[in-house]
Amino acid sequence: MRKQGYWGFIFTFPFLLQLVVFFIFPFLFSLYLTFTKWDLFNPPQWVGLKNWIQFLSRETFWLSLRNILYFSVLFIPLQTAFALILAYLLNRQIAGKALFRMVYFLPVITPWVAGGMIWLWIYHNDYGILNWLLERLRLSPVDWVRSGHWWIVIGSIAVVNIWKGAGYSMVLILAGMQNISNEMVEAARMDGASGWTLFAKITLPIVSPMVYMVMILSTISAFHAFDVFLVMLGDITAVADRNMVPNILIYRDAFMNFKMGGASAMAWGLFLIILAATLMQKKLEKRWVHYE
Amino acid sequence: MNRPSAALQWIVYLVLGAGAAIMLIPFFWMISTSLMKAGNELTLPPKLLPDPVMWSNYKTVWLEVNFVRYTMNSVFVTVLELIGMVASCAIVAYGLAFFQFRGRNLIFLAMLGTMMLPSQITMIPTYFIWKSFGALNTFYPLILRSFLGGAFGIFLLHQFFKTLPRELFDAAYVDGANPWKIFYMIYVPLSKPALSALAVFTFISAWNNTLEPLIYLQDKKMYTLPLGLLFLKNEVENRMTLIMAGAVITVLPVLIVFLFAQKHFVQGIASTGMKG
Repeated sequence: MRKQGYWGFIFTFPFLLQLVVFFIFPFLFSLYLTFTKWDLFNPPQWVGLKNWIQFLSRETFWLSLRNILYFSVLFIPLQTAFALILAYLLNRQIAGKALFRMVYFLPVITPWVAGGMIWLWIYHNDYGILNWLLERLRLSPVDWVRSGHWWIVIGSIAVVNIWKGAGYSMVLILAGMQNISNEMVEAARMDGASGWTLFAKITLPIVSPMVYMVMILSTISAFHAFDVFLVMLGDITAVADRNMVPNILIYRDAFMNFKMGGASAMAWGLFLIILAATLMQKKLEKRWVHYE
Repeated sequence: MNRPSAALQWIVYLVLGAGAAIMLIPFFWMISTSLMKAGNELTLPPKLLPDPVMWSNYKTVWLEVNFVRYTMNSVFVTVLELIGMVASCAIVAYGLAFFQFRGRNLIFLAMLGTMMLPSQITMIPTYFIWKSFGALNTFYPLILRSFLGGAFGIFLLHQFFKTLPRELFDAAYVDGANPWKIFYMIYVPLSKPALSALAVFTFISAWNNTLEPLIYLQDKKMYTLPLGLLFLKNEVENRMTLIMAGAVITVLPVLIVFLFAQKHFVQGIASTGMKG
């Protein structure tokens, strides 16, 4: 048995190395960096709480936070609702189920840069298909991602994110729906339950753990979103403050302006916010998620 | 009872069809634009189909804008990442699943913890690590890490190994086979479905990776496809026909892999609920 322990250590060693080098060290080093001024080339200089105070009093940071919150408030419920409806419909007896599932999943595997390029083209002010449609409907065109209104820009990007992610959430919810037994549905039907009651009283409670997980994953992915903004916001050096999001701000400060300390402090600030959001969702979980 | 349900069925198809159209129209327009003659994409009302069909757009992007180079870089990085990830995750998952040792539960917990830690936190120190190894502007930062395993893959394979009979291990062990031999003679062949699921996941996330190449690759000759596509705009002065041809070249390999392996992919997600 002692020999087994030796083998276990050998086999898991690669991951131990990964853990120490790429997680434990970066975690601690990054925390240290939040208290320093560092340009990567000269040694870090201890500055105490300066970085933290600086980003907390920086308007661009709060604008970026406002934008990502607005983005999440649009993206999370809409994507979840869309995924739930699709999963519910695809869980019925219908022809072409596999084909539909594949089509909805297509955007999920599409590289973000390519997907973003396509949508930039769809959103194009003069030649985009969307403005052309609006004109056909005798509505005035919208400047989508080039708009002066931040909520139109961020909203347009949230739509692309839903397009990209709905299929993923759908698969998760669909997997949960497959746990619903036919007997239960039949029994409810016998008792005279209609389609809506069936959905609200049986389907929804049973898939609620999956829906919950989808919402947690969407929250995390919204706050991690980088590629979508990288492509959709255009030239990173020229992103207007009103359209800024935290991850682009952190990337720009770190790798374009070489303010590693300030960028680290913002990354930590964002991390604490995500943590708080997740814990809050965890607390609300008991209210509506049903476990068997 | 029959009539309303038939009507309902039509509504179901209508909603599903409309949703599918929304999913597909962007792809349709991408392909259509990629085949248009320069200038034809800038007409009102927009042309939905290319006329004439310009295959030469692909030639221009492939040879003149050097997408052939970006594709080769992408293939190189992706293949190595895939080999490293599948091999190392299998080994680590095997160690976690079949051996009792001190700290095993701790490793398992830490593994799940790594999935929670946002990459923004580790990004700057990781960059520093590679910089101190002099590995900036090389493929090492993209590839080497995958040889140390990843939480998602280890978790996936660990769950799979748990379903395999332990008696096989014990019997082979008593017969004098060493654990390493048991691993690749018995468990690797038995785990082909799980290993290929992980391979598909790794392929797609490696192929689509943008942030790391953006941070680590400066020399244009080193660009992978997403990065090449990102900067294509400046090179072709916003010519949409060429940009869309570049997008098609970037998307096509993942689409092909997905069509052949979608079962693995969808089941992998459904069974673990996590992203690669």
